[in-house]
Amino acid sequence: MNTPAKQYQLLFVDDDGDFLTMIRDFFASLGEKSWHICCASSADQALELLKTHKVDLVVSDVNMPMLDGIQFLHILNRSHPDLKKAVITANATEEKRSACLAEGAELFIEKPRSPEGLKSIFIMLEELITWTPREGFQGVLRRVGLQDVIQMECLGRNSSVLEIHNQQLRGRIYIEEGRIIHARAGTEAGENAFYRLLSLPSGEFQLHPFELPSHRTIEGQWEFLLMEAARVRDETAFQTAAAVSAPKSEPGPMIEGSTTAFHLAARVEETLICSGQGDPLYAWQCPDAPARVSLLQNVAQQAVSLGRLVPLGNFDRLEIQLAGSRAVAQVKSDRMVFVRVSTGGETNATPSR
Amino acid sequence: MNHTPQEQLVTGAIASGMLGCGMRLPDSTCLSYSFNELYPREYLERILHQLAGIMNLLAGHGLAPHRLVWTFEQGQIFLITRSDGALLALATQPHTEAAENVDQLAEEFFSLASGS
Repeated sequence: MNTPAKQYQLLFVDDDGDFLTMIRDFFASLGEKSWHICCASSADQALELLKTHKVDLVVSDVNMPMLDGIQFLHILNRSHPDLKKAVITANATEEKRSACLAEGAELFIEKPRSPEGLKSIFIMLEELITWTPREGFQGVLRRVGLQDVIQMECLGRNSSVLEIHNQQLRGRIYIEEGRIIHARAGTEAGENAFYRLLSLPSGEFQLHPFELPSHRTIEGQWEFLLMEAARVRDETAFQTAAAVSAPKSEPGPMIEGSTTAFHLAARVEETLICSGQGDPLYAWQCPDAPARVSLLQNVAQQAVSLGRLVPLGNFDRLEIQLAGSRAVAQVKSDRMVFVRVSTGGETNATPSR
Repeated sequence: MNHTPQEQLVTGAIASGMLGCGMRLPDSTCLSYSFNELYPREYLERILHQLAGIMNLLAGHGLAPHRLVWTFEQGQIFLITRSDGALLALATQPHTEAAENVDQLAEEFFSLASGS
């Protein structure tokens, strides 16, 4: 039996009547029966329409008289927080783009100048409208580091529960408003459980909505917890290496999880954390901190410059892959981080030629 | 019309999530191809020249990378370097087929130098 396809309700808001007519004609034919398009010539007219119509996606212009697109997005965020929002403008600037994304727009698109451009926009909007957000998300540690996820949650002052597991161990890390408040791994709890989870060489995680833990066992700052976790992981890798190389009659320490040659060989060699202004906050085995600060500041400048050329959103980090080591330079408004890790045992890296 | 192997690599890099591809040859000439109108060719070429400058900057800091990955919220720029000075830059959307194909394109890029 065929289930009738869902019809999505789209609301286009633009003070340019000709553009709305073109959009309605072109997208109605492309969307066939799956798109129902409403149009409003101003933000206030759109807000009126939203009172009586259920809409799945609003696509708004930015430059409109009275109430502009950015203010309109701000109002929509409060009045319709679950509504998907996109922006389409003839005058795309980085400032507008950042403002729109900050106000919850999921797409920021320049107005097309050709039918091919319109078709591209149709595809992008179709992707957005059919995308179903889920509560939480999941990933594999191989591709996205667990540390990255924790850092993201803490920097964003988010509240969530991170569930981590591999074949040997299952645990949870509780993050409340950007603070790590509790961790559990097997029968252990507190900081040791946190370090144990972050020492896992592989596994999977799911990020769940926050729920209050039965206990609060961790109080330290997340930055230092992550640093300590890196140190413990490093130490664990060396203990495992020693266990592997020890004679078979002398069993080494029990370490959870399997350890590959890559993980045995990986070792943090240098770390620098400084403020957004370049004042060093923490340095470990960093032979020339001022030079590294200068490098981070150069990376930040270059990232801004690259971001002006291509609309890719805010800069997160630069990975520098070297022969035998790998460095990450992360630049945020309030801090900059440089970490270099040796990868001497890695055999599958693209060789330097 | 016959394309050089370099042109074939740049224009043939199309994959879901590939925004643009550019190559800077040792003589500083550039080849580039945009797969998305928001990423015009002339900007890709400016990026290539800028990235070449960044390689010099990193060398000044004692770093000689064989690959750089610039990660932004909505995309990544990969820069792969070859010992003859050629650079391959790829702009991709994250977690897409294009991002997965970077290693393969890098291999093709290296094989162009060795003539295989």
